[in-house]
Amino acid sequence: MVEVSDRPALSVDGLIVKFGARTAVNGVGFQVAAGEIVGLLGPNGAGKTTTLSVIEGLRKPLAGSVTIDGIDALEHPVAVKARLGVQLQSSGFQPELNIAQILKLYAGVYGVQLSRQDALDALDSTGLEQEARKRFKDLSGGQQQRFSLLIADIHRPLLLLLDEPTSGLDPQSRRSLWTRIEASRKRGGSVVLTTHSMEEAQAVCDRIVIIDHGEVVTTGSPAELIARHRDDPRVLELAHGEPTLEDVFIALTGSDIRD
Amino acid sequence: MTDSTSAVSSASGSARAKAAAVGPALRALLSADAQVLLRSRQTLVLNLLVPLIFLVVTARAGGQAAGASAPLGGATFEIGLALTYGLIASAMMGYSITVARDREAGVFQRLRVAPVPTWAIMLSRLLVQFGAAIVSSIIVIVIGSIIHQVAFSVGTYLLMLVVALFGAAMFLGIGQAIVGLIRSTAAVNAIGRVVYIVLILLGILGASGVLGDAVQNISAWTPVGALITLFAGVQQLSAWGWAQSGALLACAGYLVVFAGVGIRWFQWEAR
Repeated sequence: MVEVSDRPALSVDGLIVKFGARTAVNGVGFQVAAGEIVGLLGPNGAGKTTTLSVIEGLRKPLAGSVTIDGIDALEHPVAVKARLGVQLQSSGFQPELNIAQILKLYAGVYGVQLSRQDALDALDSTGLEQEARKRFKDLSGGQQQRFSLLIADIHRPLLLLLDEPTSGLDPQSRRSLWTRIEASRKRGGSVVLTTHSMEEAQAVCDRIVIIDHGEVVTTGSPAELIARHRDDPRVLELAHGEPTLEDVFIALTGSDIRD
Repeated sequence: MTDSTSAVSSASGSARAKAAAVGPALRALLSADAQVLLRSRQTLVLNLLVPLIFLVVTARAGGQAAGASAPLGGATFEIGLALTYGLIASAMMGYSITVARDREAGVFQRLRVAPVPTWAIMLSRLLVQFGAAIVSSIIVIVIGSIIHQVAFSVGTYLLMLVVALFGAAMFLGIGQAIVGLIRSTAAVNAIGRVVYIVLILLGILGASGVLGDAVQNISAWTPVGALITLFAGVQQLSAWGWAQSGALLACAGYLVVFAGVGIRWFQWEAR
């Protein structure tokens, strides 16, 4: 269960990650307060997923620090991972197991005791009870995302890290995911999510961190970012009427297509 | 107490709690890995089929030949060879292909973001493979002794199981080296099969002596040859000598070298 504390849920400072000669993340730093939903935005290859992978403990940075609930994530990775709920961009689960078995596996790994009925109830809460005997690959895209979020949230983590959680979802599934994210916040949990949907970021996030070329370009609430940049000539050129977060985002990161 | 000191003490306390919590996590992993193995019944049957067919064929050939002129040096040797084939198929090929496939599918990636040490992820898989090796070895030993009409003492049965575990560890080590050094699942699959065929041919053709004394001598020091020597050795302890001791050292050497290479250079990500 989440305990609300004064210290930041997440503090990232001076993160540097290199792949060979290429610097993927160059001094990224930001904080996430308890109960806050933060959107990590950036074009493809900006360094969002690499930053998340360091926070998740999948990659060691060349320099910098990650502190979760006051605990050094690089020094105490297992203790920190117990406080994290992670939804990866593409979740890989054992292809031989059905989703009820996968749920029991991850509950066990996170130290949560689940009876068979508990597992079915949990699946029912995401509309997946009828699919309990199905394998993950046999679920629809929306069901897969809902199931991945259920796994990420099974231990009521302090901090949820969601990498493009609504990618490829229909509006109903997207709304359902937002509801679950909001429920996590209501419990006092914090959320960091990456998304390419500016509409989603504007609707869901308390604060936005825009990253480009491995560096933090700007940060603030969606309303603050729009207000701060509304007179920027690049924004004025892009906006059709009232400037939107997307106008600000494109003005700050450029309109070149990234792969 | 300051915020940072309370955080550190909370971290160390939490680390202790997590260390204690590895038990339930390992149990969950073991249960899932065992379920995965049992779901692969077809593979399990195939892994048993090769040694059992081998036992039947050698028993028939041995029956047609005179007792002393058995095709591969007698029942003890042939049961050892059958056990070795079963271990290669499950411990080396089965393990390396499953690990490579799960790595490519992102199964390890997902497990690594959970609060479970990476050694526990691997240990769980290895323990399940050991369990499978014990069960399949018992089946092969019992059926082998019936088909070849050999009566083993309880002590010999136990010694053969110990050697089977040792052999499983060695072939798991070779499998670990293959999957550790090669990232692509297709390449792991292909190389695993080539190594399997080479080891089988070296075992049968090398041991039979049809390729000459030189190949027969080399064959005796391959992982297959050394393990068969060990199996044969524990079936006739009175005949234990330098050859068997050398085979024991050779197997230990293969285990240390291949497992060391496989663990040291193991890549958790497919790309």
